[in-house]
Amino acid sequence: MVDRYSRQMLFKPIGEDGQLKILNKHVLILGCGALGSANAENLARAGVGKLTLIDRDYVELSNLQRQQLYTEKDVHEQVPKAIAAKKRLLEINREVNIDAYVLDATPISLVPLLNDIDIVIDATDNFDTRLMMNDLLQKYQIPWIFGSCVGSTGMSYTILPKETPCLGCLLDRAPMSGATCDSVGIISPAVQMVVAHQTTEALKLLVEDKDSLRTNLVTFDLWNNYYHTMNVERAKKENCPTCGENPSFPHFSGEVSTKSEVLCGRNTVQIRTGRKVNLQELANRLQYVAPININDFLLSLEYESYRLVFFHDGRTLIHGTNSIEKAKTIYYQLAG
Amino acid sequence: MIKILLFADLQEKVGKPELELKLEQITVEELKSELQKIYPLINLESVMTAVNEEYAMADDAIKSGDTVAFIPPVSGG
Repeated sequence: MVDRYSRQMLFKPIGEDGQLKILNKHVLILGCGALGSANAENLARAGVGKLTLIDRDYVELSNLQRQQLYTEKDVHEQVPKAIAAKKRLLEINREVNIDAYVLDATPISLVPLLNDIDIVIDATDNFDTRLMMNDLLQKYQIPWIFGSCVGSTGMSYTILPKETPCLGCLLDRAPMSGATCDSVGIISPAVQMVVAHQTTEALKLLVEDKDSLRTNLVTFDLWNNYYHTMNVERAKKENCPTCGENPSFPHFSGEVSTKSEVLCGRNTVQIRTGRKVNLQELANRLQYVAPININDFLLSLEYESYRLVFFHDGRTLIHGTNSIEKAKTIYYQLAG
Repeated sequence: MIKILLFADLQEKVGKPELELKLEQITVEELKSELQKIYPLINLESVMTAVNEEYAMADDAIKSGDTVAFIPPVSGG
């Protein structure tokens, strides 16, 4: 241990005590895309005791530009990301105990995996899942580190249950959020910058150096040269349904959670978010992805081998698959 | 004079990263609707607002000399 982690132990805020703590901690990384890959590699190299990796998708060629754990061989063999990540991470550090799960993150699938988790790193690609996590981790009192990126921009924020404002306090309403990596692209340094913030915060939490945690929300744009921090202390809402005095956990209980179902015999999956959608705005965003057909009732487009139809009431049909996992992947790639 | 910083896709839609408006006092919500009138393409409904690097609510007052940042949450990962 001494040799392998010597440079990290020489760093005073970690030291030998901190390293021993890191070696005995368990981190769950939700999502094994760009943010998940890079955070997992950092933490495996740092010697974290155990990693739980969760992802529903498999490796595709367009991932390789930024998802650093994967190879052309993984693309060729269509290996699930969580499995490919585990294999690569064990090559880097076989002392790390790694559990990899190929599954769709829902309250039902996640709750059994939360036992003895010290922290969760957000490496998801959509706010539906983040708001569900926000409820779940508040309920189970697990700190987590929000991170997101698109283009040359990104943001990060560390959430401590019962202490800091939660993600819901910061967002007045769930963003039917603009840009996604599949609509406006992403450069890998934007990923690395978010990950630098997330892994550093994770290390502080792992060595139990709470006083050093960053309390503000950071936003940056590497291409346009800005770095902005926002003090969020006053955002905490007493009546917040997630972290307030009488929480109802709306995104966890199913009140506003996203529902997906396979439409029998149609090779189609329906996703219902329960949020109204401004179709014209969606059309403006997706116009560079594929030719758009829009009328007063719906917006449709062809994407890869799928056809997507968005309705005002928050329903989307994804034709061309019977897999809820695949449909969600496509949906969040486009709608964010 | 109120200085306005625009991030992510807002910057792209407005065509510049910063704006200055000659205003003495206005609330966050009023400023959002003013900007929406000038730039109909932008959507400020779900953006976070910081005034002088501090989280701001809809009815908070902004005064001349303040710097306002509109931060759209990005979702990728």
